[in-house]
Amino acid sequence: MTEKIRIYGRKEFGGVAEAEALVSPKPLEGFANNNPARGYTTERNHPLFGVSYAGKILVYPSPRGSGGFMSYGVGPNKPAAFIHTEGCPLSVACAMVAHIPSMTDFERDPMEVIETGDTVLVNADEGYIEITKRAGAK
Amino acid sequence: MDLKLTDEEKRMLQGEDGVVPRLCMEYLVELCEVAGADRLIDLDGTGDFHTPMTAMSPFYEFPIEELRKIVEQGAHFKIPTFANKAPFLFQPPVHGWEHCNVCAFQDDANLQSDPAFHEKAMRDEWYELYRRMGMMTTHSCANYLVDTYLPTMGQHCSWNESSAVPYCNAVLGARSNIDGSFATCFLGKTAYYDMHITENRYATVLVKTERLIKSDLEWDVFGFAVGEDAGVHVPCLTGTAKPTTTQLQKLNAAMNTGGAVRMYHIPGTTPEAPTMEFAFGGKAPERETLVGEAELRKAYETLNYHGSDTVDMVYLGCPHLNIVDMMLLARKLEGKKVKIPFYIMTAPWLYDVAKNIGYLKIFEDAGAHLMTGTCLAAMGAVPKGVRTIALDSAKQAYYITGCYPDEDNKLEVCYGSQDDCIDAALTGRWHGEWR
Repeated sequence: MTEKIRIYGRKEFGGVAEAEALVSPKPLEGFANNNPARGYTTERNHPLFGVSYAGKILVYPSPRGSGGFMSYGVGPNKPAAFIHTEGCPLSVACAMVAHIPSMTDFERDPMEVIETGDTVLVNADEGYIEITKRAGAK
Repeated sequence: MDLKLTDEEKRMLQGEDGVVPRLCMEYLVELCEVAGADRLIDLDGTGDFHTPMTAMSPFYEFPIEELRKIVEQGAHFKIPTFANKAPFLFQPPVHGWEHCNVCAFQDDANLQSDPAFHEKAMRDEWYELYRRMGMMTTHSCANYLVDTYLPTMGQHCSWNESSAVPYCNAVLGARSNIDGSFATCFLGKTAYYDMHITENRYATVLVKTERLIKSDLEWDVFGFAVGEDAGVHVPCLTGTAKPTTTQLQKLNAAMNTGGAVRMYHIPGTTPEAPTMEFAFGGKAPERETLVGEAELRKAYETLNYHGSDTVDMVYLGCPHLNIVDMMLLARKLEGKKVKIPFYIMTAPWLYDVAKNIGYLKIFEDAGAHLMTGTCLAAMGAVPKGVRTIALDSAKQAYYITGCYPDEDNKLEVCYGSQDDCIDAALTGRWHGEWR
């Protein structure tokens, strides 16, 4: 049986979602550096430039930039859930616009555990995430 | 966390005061829940929000008919409230739109210089009502420069512009998160968290430099580098000269492009840090970091994004220029003639001042256009045909290319000092370099 890793954290917005993780190794930036219609970041130099986050569990260390960060929570191409290590009012506004499961302030940094392609269950209602490593991962 | 509401707040939540107060209170309750706040705080400072949207959230918007209803009943904003930026969605220039050859979001239907489009994009039907509620329609990201009424030290505010919030927190010593909305300004309340709480305002990261940060360009590049390093944490900046107002505008915008620095300290300069000890609340820094020559150069190179040195356009005014910026710019442009389109952006409330003092004529005689209230990144486009733009703002330089993600429709950026930009406007070539 595949091992599952459970990490407890703080619910920002409730709900339950399970999907493949997309991990941003760098902070994410919104406003003109995100294209919600296409569902990907347009920040030049960003490792996720052009990579769709639609329907994914979007995992990132922290938000940065303008209040337009909330565009990550807008439209049909928004992620399935947000997981982030640290937050600020930018990620708060984003969770409010998105109304999708959103969590932060974990007992252990999820960035150290989750890799792109892992399956992640976000149970914001009960305050935990559960990671199933993708097949073939160490 | 259990949310504690007063009886008055509970009453509004139950809808006893009507639809709009109920929606606003629901919005604030959700804000508390998401932010992890256990109560609301009554605001005694000022507010602004992105207009005309009421909540910036589809779940708490209400139609204009509801607004009209409460206005007719005499509703007004509880705190002095200003309009941040030009009207959404298209953010047309408030002045100088006749010269603005930009199609918002690169859609030909949205030409800002088209009078019919301008009239529609200004959405005056909303502002007519907002003004009756007491809103002062400044329409500027830097409205704090023209408000003529600033919050005082310790006052709780609700602003909504990432480059302005640090002016409130760090420069004025008032307290705001990026949460200005109809709800916070109308009810005069917001969630008690983050920068409203004293403990969260202390620095945790000590920033050192190798060179003395003193020119406008150095402050801008430094701000971007500090933002990338500090992220969401509060830095204490050392190794800088005393910043001018222009430099504070640049620093605040750049730190909130590279990072999310809504509060910082400069010992001996910002009001909550008469000394380093005050900046850190008597504790030791959690981390020390060096923004030295290598880091500054790296930031400068990140902000530049061009292969060719041919420049098609110059844009100045991110954040919106203050009156001294315009005076200095007029001095530099007087008697000159620009070779390429040159847009200058300021706050609407400064347009008539610039006109009366004579700067507007100097700009126009030089072939440059003064506009107000908006910016290119907010309009999601540059004028058609522009492939390389020269800018003196880290914020604008880093965002504007995000509007052009496609390989066959790239936009390049020459980033440098204002003098580099003026030189580019007069010669059509980029000669800027990091020194």
